[in-house]
Amino acid sequence: MSGEQKIRAFLFYLGVLIFFIGLRFILPSALGYKFNMRTFRFTKAGLIALKTQPQGASIYLNEVLLNEKTPATINELLPGEYNLKLELENHYPWSAQVSVEAGKVSRLEKIILFPIRPNIKQLNKEKISSFWLDKEKDKVYYISQEEQTLYKSDLEGNDFVVAGTLAQMRPLPIKWKISPDKEKLLSFNPHQIVVVNLRSSHKPYLTESPLVLDVANHKITDIFWHSDSYHLILVTDSNIEVQEATLQSVPVNLVNLNKKSISASYDENKDILYFIDNQKAADGKFYDNLFKLELGTKFSFIKPRANEP
Amino acid sequence: MHNAKRIKRYLEIIPGAISWGIIIVLILLSIFKPVACAISIIVFDFYWIIRTIYLSTLLVLAHRKLFKEKNKDWLSECQGLDVKKDWSKLYHLIIFPVYKEGIGVLRPSLEALRNSRYPKEKMIVVVAFEERYAHAQANARILETEFKTSFFGYLSTFHPDKAPGETRTKGANATWAAKQAREFLDRKAIAYEDVIISCFDADTCVDREYFGCLTYHFLTQPKPHQASYQPMPVYNNNIWHAPSFARIVEISASFCQMIDSMRLEKFVTFSSHSMSFKTLVEIDYWPVDMVSDDSVIYWKAFLFYKGDYRVVPLYITVSMDVAYSSNLFKTIALQYRQKRRWAWGIENFPFLINGFSHNKDIPLLIKARRSFQLLESHIMWAIWAVIVILIGPLPILLGGAFFNQMAIGYNLPRITGLLFNFTLATSLAFIILSRAILPPRPKDVSWFKNIVMLVEWIIVPVIILILGSTPALDAQTRLMLAKYIEFNPTEKGRKVV
Repeated sequence: MSGEQKIRAFLFYLGVLIFFIGLRFILPSALGYKFNMRTFRFTKAGLIALKTQPQGASIYLNEVLLNEKTPATINELLPGEYNLKLELENHYPWSAQVSVEAGKVSRLEKIILFPIRPNIKQLNKEKISSFWLDKEKDKVYYISQEEQTLYKSDLEGNDFVVAGTLAQMRPLPIKWKISPDKEKLLSFNPHQIVVVNLRSSHKPYLTESPLVLDVANHKITDIFWHSDSYHLILVTDSNIEVQEATLQSVPVNLVNLNKKSISASYDENKDILYFIDNQKAADGKFYDNLFKLELGTKFSFIKPRANEP
Repeated sequence: MHNAKRIKRYLEIIPGAISWGIIIVLILLSIFKPVACAISIIVFDFYWIIRTIYLSTLLVLAHRKLFKEKNKDWLSECQGLDVKKDWSKLYHLIIFPVYKEGIGVLRPSLEALRNSRYPKEKMIVVVAFEERYAHAQANARILETEFKTSFFGYLSTFHPDKAPGETRTKGANATWAAKQAREFLDRKAIAYEDVIISCFDADTCVDREYFGCLTYHFLTQPKPHQASYQPMPVYNNNIWHAPSFARIVEISASFCQMIDSMRLEKFVTFSSHSMSFKTLVEIDYWPVDMVSDDSVIYWKAFLFYKGDYRVVPLYITVSMDVAYSSNLFKTIALQYRQKRRWAWGIENFPFLINGFSHNKDIPLLIKARRSFQLLESHIMWAIWAVIVILIGPLPILLGGAFFNQMAIGYNLPRITGLLFNFTLATSLAFIILSRAILPPRPKDVSWFKNIVMLVEWIIVPVIILILGSTPALDAQTRLMLAKYIEFNPTEKGRKVV
């Protein structure tokens, strides 16, 4: 046998030996067993898997500081209860009683360590009464009812500037709602709607800004933007109507309501209005029912309600 | 169906059935018994790590040997041998079976022969064309004009198409050429035992010392006629011009061959190799109806000599072309087909078992060992990447919440990840060794290519995914379903400089 073949034979048998000896340790370890050096026996154990946000927290297990920092896996733990404490500088400590079962992993992988002094920062530079975030464009819009002004800034409060002027409304607006295209802001009180164009170049829908629409006959309880950011769905004390966000618009009555004040929800993605109204049943009594009103561009008209004009 | 044919069909089904059986059982286990599946995967992964270390060490040893014998003056070694071992009476018969390979591929191969440091008056060259190829006659004439007078003998043969009992394989062409050469030897009254035949792929360029090395080993072997002589195939002809994907695949193929050269008890001939012409005649030449003629010829001789036949590694290189095409996808397809053809070597299994069943002189232990080695190597080829890449994560994905809260469920991805990283780390050794077998950079190739050839190894996981197991699984499945493949020579994309 040549020198190479001798080396090869040695490596082969060494590999076989390592395979069988190594397997004796790797498999029990993978299954969660712990090798007891004193008794030379395997004991079934469990483990704790730790992940924190942020990482690098010190780990105390039953008050003993471990060498590892998060994220970490604490292996070969005998079944039982353990006091676990995580500490990270300038963060609140986290602690819990953790139960370890034989052959199982206790996963603690969604731990958030909150900072002791949260980074709190005032963003507005002027008096404001309301705000909303435009996450897509990383903008914050602020409303000052007192000054009837709309401000905007970036998400850090920088570039705080006037974005528009709001119309005078008496009584003060009930709600503010941004259009789906994030380019128009509507506010309303029971008899008045004001639409402010957030983009000065916005054409052709809004020719003037702010646009003030009066609703004299009904009392508005809620308004929703249609997904086209042009139509408004008005829920009033007597009906549901739709109208364009223009001065020339003539409202279209969609549904007459039996209840004075209804709760309604609008699915902007599918243009469906869900609302509760009461309806006369066969026994002559009125019961509340949930209705679905499709307002998408592909209308598939649903069966009219009984007694519907 | 005839009994022998039925048994052959059963034997053809066995490799594919085992490979698919292992894969399907592991998938089912991952759904219904994820813990058992995870244990199987960990055992396999651990086995694979040890195997990788073992084989990488063999590769280093083979490299060491290759460099030890590099630039050795083999002709002087021959001349220094005992007078009884007269090298000068030996003739070298070199056959190039050709199909569509053009002059651009053949000329460098013949030039390499002409430039070799071995007396040309001891060399007989046969360029074996396929009659069905339209340009065969024209190409033969061109090459004859250039090379006919360079050697002791030069023959152009034209293998007739669709001869009875034949399929369109390289072996059929080589056998036809060998028979023509036999007539030539008879005319010249050259004894068959004094002839060493080398059957080379058309793109094979031999090292200048190849025939000296071959002659020396032939003369110094105890039973020289009961051995094949296997050089180390490298794909250096166009390696600097080949795309990264193809280059890495072919370098890996060279490495596999070098590793196998260290495992003599399972070493089988592959691609270009040499043997005694007397033996070739005695065993009735190459098979004329099998694709993997290069390995079947070994098994034929093994059976003929009742198990007393071996492959002698020659630590000298023969250089071939990296197979690549005009774009990446065509190159991948080309490489895939080439690897599938190599994996078609599993057709040797029914051949071998059938041969063993008719041979009472080979000890049962040897029969069992050689059958197992052949089967095991092909099955491992077909399943390893599937297990490592696809089945490894399955228990986690399909094992459900219960499995994921088990310790083994937590440890499995860590262990399989470790294995995968370890397999990649062996690429580092491959990078270093690949540099060692690389030919000098041609002048038309930028220096920057050196950097590319280092960085390109990061695509190894992609190669494992595409070419790791699928060609072998494909080949075994085809054999299992009796969808036999025909020999198609691989397109070579050599840039002629």
